[in-house]
Amino acid sequence: MLRVIYRLYRWSSGLRYWAVRRFTPVGLGLLVAITVTMLMGFNIEESVSYQAFMLLLGLLAVAIAFSWFFHMQFTIERCLPRFGTVGVALRYFVAVRNLGKQTQSGLALLENLADARPSFAEWKDVQLDDQKHIRPFSFVKRRANPFKLAITKAATAPPLPSKQEVTVSAELTPLRRGVLRFDGVTLARPDPLGLFRSFVRTPAPQSVLILPKRYYLPPIAMPGSMKYQQGGVALASNIGQSDEFVSLREYRRGDPMRHIHWRSWAKTGKPIVKEFEDEFFVRHALVLDTFTDRPHTEQFEEAVSVASSFACTILTQESLLDLLFVGAQAYCFTAGRGLAHADQMLEILASVRPSSDKPFASLETLVLNHSSTVNGVICVLLAWDEARQQLVAKLKSLGLPLLVFVIRDAGEKNPLDHGPMRDDPEHLHSLEIGRIEEQLARLV
Amino acid sequence: MKPPPFLLAAALLFWGWQSGLLIVGAILAVVIESPRFVRARWDFSDEDFGRIWTLCSLLTLGAILFAFVDNQGPANFAGFFQEPNIQTQRGAGSSSARTAFAMFRWLPIIYFPFILAQFFSTREAVPWKTINFVLRRRLRKAKLAGKPPPPVTTVNLTLPYFALTLLGAAAHPPEGITFFWGLSVLLAGALWSQRSVRFKPAAWVLAVIVGVALGFLGQTGVRQAMRLAESMNLSWLSFLVRRRFDAEQSRTALGKIGDIKTSGQIVIRLEPLNGNAPPTYLREASYRTYKGVTWLAEINEEGFVSVGERGANTLIWPLPPLDQETNTHSANIACYLDGGKALLPLPTGSARLEKLNIIELKKSPLGAVLARGPGLAIFDAHFTDGKTIDSPPEPADRTNIPPREVAGLDTALAELRLEGNSDDEKLHNVAGFFSDKFSYSTWQSPSKSSDTNETALSRFLTKTRKGHCEYFATATVLMLRRLNIPARYAVGFYVHESSGGGYVVRMSDAHAWTLVWDEQAQTWRDFDTTPPSWIQIESKPTILRWLSDVKSRVFFEIRKLITGQTKLRQYLLWAIVPGLAILTYQIVFRRRKKQRGAIAGGLNEFTDWPGLDSEFYLLEKRLAERGVPREPGEPLSAWLERVACDSTLEDVREPLEVLLQLHYRHRFDPQGLVAEEREALRRNTTMCLERIGRVETQAAR
Repeated sequence: MLRVIYRLYRWSSGLRYWAVRRFTPVGLGLLVAITVTMLMGFNIEESVSYQAFMLLLGLLAVAIAFSWFFHMQFTIERCLPRFGTVGVALRYFVAVRNLGKQTQSGLALLENLADARPSFAEWKDVQLDDQKHIRPFSFVKRRANPFKLAITKAATAPPLPSKQEVTVSAELTPLRRGVLRFDGVTLARPDPLGLFRSFVRTPAPQSVLILPKRYYLPPIAMPGSMKYQQGGVALASNIGQSDEFVSLREYRRGDPMRHIHWRSWAKTGKPIVKEFEDEFFVRHALVLDTFTDRPHTEQFEEAVSVASSFACTILTQESLLDLLFVGAQAYCFTAGRGLAHADQMLEILASVRPSSDKPFASLETLVLNHSSTVNGVICVLLAWDEARQQLVAKLKSLGLPLLVFVIRDAGEKNPLDHGPMRDDPEHLHSLEIGRIEEQLARLV
Repeated sequence: MKPPPFLLAAALLFWGWQSGLLIVGAILAVVIESPRFVRARWDFSDEDFGRIWTLCSLLTLGAILFAFVDNQGPANFAGFFQEPNIQTQRGAGSSSARTAFAMFRWLPIIYFPFILAQFFSTREAVPWKTINFVLRRRLRKAKLAGKPPPPVTTVNLTLPYFALTLLGAAAHPPEGITFFWGLSVLLAGALWSQRSVRFKPAAWVLAVIVGVALGFLGQTGVRQAMRLAESMNLSWLSFLVRRRFDAEQSRTALGKIGDIKTSGQIVIRLEPLNGNAPPTYLREASYRTYKGVTWLAEINEEGFVSVGERGANTLIWPLPPLDQETNTHSANIACYLDGGKALLPLPTGSARLEKLNIIELKKSPLGAVLARGPGLAIFDAHFTDGKTIDSPPEPADRTNIPPREVAGLDTALAELRLEGNSDDEKLHNVAGFFSDKFSYSTWQSPSKSSDTNETALSRFLTKTRKGHCEYFATATVLMLRRLNIPARYAVGFYVHESSGGGYVVRMSDAHAWTLVWDEQAQTWRDFDTTPPSWIQIESKPTILRWLSDVKSRVFFEIRKLITGQTKLRQYLLWAIVPGLAILTYQIVFRRRKKQRGAIAGGLNEFTDWPGLDSEFYLLEKRLAERGVPREPGEPLSAWLERVACDSTLEDVREPLEVLLQLHYRHRFDPQGLVAEEREALRRNTTMCLERIGRVETQAAR
């Protein structure tokens, strides 16, 4: 039965996609009017709606008939930015060259994005999750289509002279992070009545990485003090306390060449090297919880957004940031102080997927292994259950300063039990979906 | 997308013309275009639009209710739920359709206030949340949860209203092709502004002409197809319809084995008027030909003659040829017209029906009277002894006897030895024959005879000699015809059960009897040979029957209400008026009151916006009155610097700066002020106002 519903869903969403692209807004209005007059027109003794129905149908038939007579040859070159961001309009240019002999005018440019319809398994997950968490017939809580990639707008093309190229400004608003793939471009020509569009298409595969949504964070005094970093300046080649000279000593195997003090070697005849003070700087761990049985929910996306907000903010400070999460395997990415930039961290976060086949303990192991090198830990958690509280308790027992965020569903009334953070409650924050920006802005 | 100028007015005029409300349409058209000439605009808030929308929604609900009641919806639906069959289903469907069409016709008027508010508002659009229920719920939830509201989007409803007006214009029965041409012109006008710039106007004109031509051909084809479908004989469906009595035929239960089940449901209520005795029989139909086990009238509905009302809306329906007769009796009869059309149960000799609120009345030559109207008919029947509205006998009423029944009839008649008797004696003997030798029974046992040619009637006449009224009536009619006396088979109800001041007639009182032609009086007389014991057998009062009677009474009263036999509809209309008045008061007067209150309090704006209740505005007003008004767009801080240049205001300069900070925070800080700070803003403003007052007093001295 579910398979049948899934087929219906695919068919209906495909039909909707086709109708929205093929019909102009006036044409869509005409379709609605045709449906209403058809329903009214069954009883021809009581109403003349059947006359309206046939008239509208006649006009539509003419409009559709005009779509058979449109042919055009063209090439396009799309100039895309490297990144886009969820919810932020992505503006770019498309150069269109008319290869035909006639000037083409009144055209609209439509992007053909890759088919965003989910597989049966993905669709089923979402439906079951909705059934579990949303009351039937509740339209208020019903969320937007979680599979829709972007909102595209038809861009108006200027007149295209024969054998010439014009630039069209296009815009779309990404709705999901990750790679947004373009399949091609369609040039649409409306009929004389302005109801129905005829299409010519050209393939133009391209992609753009859509970064997660980020929130503004106020300047935050991150927990923890500086710590000796074993890698030394090799790990932090930029600036810091690493140039503090302490003494000279004899060369030992493995000392870097640039530390050799040439003048002393000339005087003593033995290689002498300069000795510097130990390397101290701040290093934070950003722990992203990816363990959820609701992979397509807003909660996980918000967790990624919160993590991205921290990644952007902290990497503008003079510190290192380790992003720790578990995906297909356990990952640790370090950025800051010249190692990597915020955009690289965001690229990783743009591709993070929920983990459903590994236990939460794998994240715990990963974090505890890194605990010796970090000054503080920021945890972005999807729940506040026993396993997560245990992780927090273990980190606290290691004496690490913590900043814990728990992402919760909108309308969650029960206050969060502080658990292992009861001695430090101001560093445990509950972020409610829909109010996250406001709650993050209040952080001190 | 905005339609061309005056298109909406043209659409409203068209709607008025098509709906028979031309003056209303013209008034609406003038008013809708008045914003082009009237400069006044109102700053309707979201709440105002919401109230107007509520008003329109309530009007819609009221109109639906009114249209449903007015189109016999409750009666037809009640009939459908009580006795679901094709006829009642069609009745219910017809009511729904008529209600829907009435609604479509009224929609342009109902939603006129809303579209007018849009035209006269400063925004020239309405907030999307006003008409989007889901968005409104979401916003309310967000507000309760303290979340920031999403940005307000507005929508222009001009084109949807244009479409609504055209749909309203389509909701009337077809009377020619004017609607089609008018609609074509209006649609062309609307599409002109949306045409593609790629094509020349000639191409557009060609496309419209081809489209309209296709539409014209299409609508002609639809009309012809529907006519063809209507002309097809759909009698094969008729077996699905179970009617109480049919004017065309009456299928008897002759030959049916087992018990005949009858229902105790009350179907007619009768009250004799002027102290008269009640009529014994209420006849619904009579039949001429017996074929198989069915009596046929051999007259279909087309053979019925229309009976006119005596003067428009007098509710008096004389039944020719007795309309000039002096009536001696009268009774008030209430019966159901299931499906909006049914035969009226009338006393023998009915000559005039009064207070009968129906649409149409027809009469058959065999005395059946068919009424079309609401689901319940309550009327006064005036009747007389002697004559009836039935046509005189024809040869068929004398000779029409199925050959299969002749043997059985002759056997029975042979027992009577009626040779040489007059007609009256024959009738007397036949009546005696049935009362002496036959008994009433609703039970029929299976036949043990091996004679396959034996009919149910001959078995009744020669062997079992017991049966129900259909046996007696059928046998009597055929026996009398065998004796060369004209007779017909009549069906209807027997009136015997008194209830309160009147009588009730149940389904179990349904009866069949004989009409016999009285040669001397030249009229038809009721001739009932069923033994009187049938009444006792059929009437079996039980507790359940009492409960059923109570339910029937309640149902009857409800039907009276919903079919307009009471003054409910008028009350309903009057009940809407105070509702509208209250809403108008809410929209107009409360807003004014609020504005007045705000002005009286020194604030010229509404105070429900964050921070606009700040007392600092009083200070600003007071200082501006001293001759240093704030320029448009001038920040408060810059203006205060200018104000503070006045040496007389030395004392308030410092408190003013503190107050300004508090005011800014109160106005723009999402966190707002804590209670102490809010109080400080209020207190210090009062203090500053007092100081300024003192300074002015001193300066005046």
